[in-house]
Amino acid sequence: MAQQEKDDASGQQAGRSLTMSRAMVEAIAHEMRADDEVFYMGEDVADYGGIFDSTEGLLEEFGRDRIMDVPISETAYLGAAVGAAQEGMRPIAELMFVDFFGVAMDQIYNQMAKNTYMSGGSVNVPMVLTAAVGGTYNDAAQHSQTLYGTFAHLPGMKVVVPSTAYDAKGLMHNAIRDDDPVVYMFHKRLMGIGWLPAPDGPKTGVPEDDYTIPFGSADVKREGADVTVVTLGLHVHRALEAAADLADDGIDIEVVDLRTLVPLDTDTIRDSVAKTGHLVVVDEDYRSYGVTGEIIASVAEAGLDDLEAVERVALPDVPIPYARPMEDEVVPGTEDIAAAVRAARGDE
Amino acid sequence: MVAVNELQEMYENMVTARQYEERLQEEYMAGKQPAFDISAGPIPGELHLAAGHEAAGAGVCQHLRDDDTVTAPHRPHHIAIAKGVDLKRMTAEIFGRESGLSGGKGGHMHLFDPDVNFACSGIIAEGCPPAVGAGLAAKKRNTDSVAVAFLGEGAIDQGAFLESLNLASVQNLPVVFVVEDNDWAISMPKERVTDVENGAQRADGFGLQGMRVDADDAVAVSEAAREAVGRARDGNGPTLLEVQVHRRMGHFMGDPESYRPDEDKDAAEQRDSIERLESDLQAHGVDDETIDDLRSRAHDRVEEAIEWAKDQPEPESEDAYEDVFVNPPSGVTDNEPSTADTGGDD
Amino acid sequence: MSGTDDSVAVETSDRWPDDVDEDVGVVVNWFVAEGGQVEEGDSICEFQVEKVSVDVPAPATGTLAEIAIGEDEEFERGDRLALIRPA
Repeated sequence: MAQQEKDDASGQQAGRSLTMSRAMVEAIAHEMRADDEVFYMGEDVADYGGIFDSTEGLLEEFGRDRIMDVPISETAYLGAAVGAAQEGMRPIAELMFVDFFGVAMDQIYNQMAKNTYMSGGSVNVPMVLTAAVGGTYNDAAQHSQTLYGTFAHLPGMKVVVPSTAYDAKGLMHNAIRDDDPVVYMFHKRLMGIGWLPAPDGPKTGVPEDDYTIPFGSADVKREGADVTVVTLGLHVHRALEAAADLADDGIDIEVVDLRTLVPLDTDTIRDSVAKTGHLVVVDEDYRSYGVTGEIIASVAEAGLDDLEAVERVALPDVPIPYARPMEDEVVPGTEDIAAAVRAARGDE
Repeated sequence: MVAVNELQEMYENMVTARQYEERLQEEYMAGKQPAFDISAGPIPGELHLAAGHEAAGAGVCQHLRDDDTVTAPHRPHHIAIAKGVDLKRMTAEIFGRESGLSGGKGGHMHLFDPDVNFACSGIIAEGCPPAVGAGLAAKKRNTDSVAVAFLGEGAIDQGAFLESLNLASVQNLPVVFVVEDNDWAISMPKERVTDVENGAQRADGFGLQGMRVDADDAVAVSEAAREAVGRARDGNGPTLLEVQVHRRMGHFMGDPESYRPDEDKDAAEQRDSIERLESDLQAHGVDDETIDDLRSRAHDRVEEAIEWAKDQPEPESEDAYEDVFVNPPSGVTDNEPSTADTGGDD
Repeated sequence: MSGTDDSVAVETSDRWPDDVDEDVGVVVNWFVAEGGQVEEGDSICEFQVEKVSVDVPAPATGTLAEIAIGEDEEFERGDRLALIRPA
């Protein structure tokens, strides 16, 4: 399979594999060693090492001047990252949960995302906004969202969503080196934290040297002939699980991992749909006005004739409920993906 | 002066809150051993327990009526108990059961009990503006209700809090902001994130009264809160009251607290406001038998609530689609169609 | 013992966290597969006891000859997690 080949070609030959959090941290540490202008700000990123291990171990190497605990003042410190970036530094600022973006929305969408354009390109904002996203552990409506579509909708931010350690490292190198603002959204369930066990899959081989994965290059995580499943983040792994189940029934799906929403790699999606004729889009964000609709529209605009059937699987338009039966209902599961694949094929 | 019966009432309330957190800790950790898995066991998700905070909830809410509004943060149980939130239905909510306050939709950070005007927000300081709104409503309607926003000392650097202080002050609203200072914003000690010695000093910049209770002392909290709530009820404006408390159980269950010096935790645990109040009761001549009775009543009530909650059924998965609106507009379905029915064209 | 005489056991006694009651841990991550090369001092796996997670450094440079406790498996304090055949 594609992923296995990639592992063999890159990480496994290094003889070690990493969790997604460790791969992210390795890239950050590398960039901080290489460039004194890179620093990290956030709540509980120093001594705690990030609630979701996003900065584990960095304080010891880089000290408090560069791994900065900041007050619970998202407007101030995200805005300060914008300002420092405009001065030419390369700040990384973390939102502990993406759900907290509302507290500081103006700095994100009116300042960080627009200053380049409003200045006619004379100002740029080379910062990374990291944020933990996602549900599946019953943290309820204010701590479980992904909000992929919200960030991708507003122009001026590049939006990155890794699904494996290998991708996480290469995308982080790219994010820090990029001269524009990058929102780097890491799924809590994929980080490889002991108390929040990850599915099989995100822990991969990771080269020790630095490498970049260009933005706008979706990755075919599994090749298949019958149905194209386009997804991102945690649901890459749920789609791969569904693929294994469907393969038992002779249905061969192709799993396309978007990796970045902005820029969006429509070519890879369209090439896949041209091959399979069937498109299923799977997203952990809300259904309406979001990622699923956008992907389908981008395919339809350019290659309507290739499309025989379309399905989408996403969170229904409700806040995320707390209790298990209800959260399980709204967050798309492996069986929901398999059902959508069958429906796209007209099996039901 | 706080009367003996008021001391007893606070004591029972605080023992209830402590016992509640200790029992929830047990229930929560069941199924999460030997290695902690946040989504396993009878109570999943984050759980922020308030052991060590009891004096703040009991001392303030003692002066409140059902028609007074309280907003609580992510660590709400002791405040809810002190405000008179239905303990059984609150417990069922925490266990994610159908009979919970929100039918299992909210969870422990999002407790709502309109019967006693209690609400929560899990986002730091974001309960402050709604409390200002409740104060505004009381003023416009010319009632003598008051509103109290509880927040942690980590929240005093947040815009929503600072803007709320200003709005409440300039509008002379019946609002009390209660800062529970447990010294730690998760792993961040307060001296790392603010240059003021205490949160009450924030009042100076906004023209409202600032008060601080320096010790984990329910009696002192009650006396300060009597003044602050009285000021609000009499139409004399808002107060910012900071109360020293301490954190006995980590920021959330699962927090290894490896950043926290052992001495800090040990010292904090010496400041037990419940033991202190027990001494106060004894000094007022309350005998041990009476104290034991208060304790056992509190324990029984907690046990009954937990047993009741665990017996309640889980919600149906389809319940997830209800309550987005009280008056669903046409086009919003009660039941999400299965993926098989949705072709991307609906 | 499945290793040769000069094999070095990977175990956790000296890494066990101080402030836990449990004597049972769970291996949450292996960073090297069986047969892979390890360098003394590098983290080769991570285990968790209660709420505390701990990295285990390779006690010797060589080949990770055998993993005795796999991911998500429980073990008791003092159990051998793996064997390293020194280079």
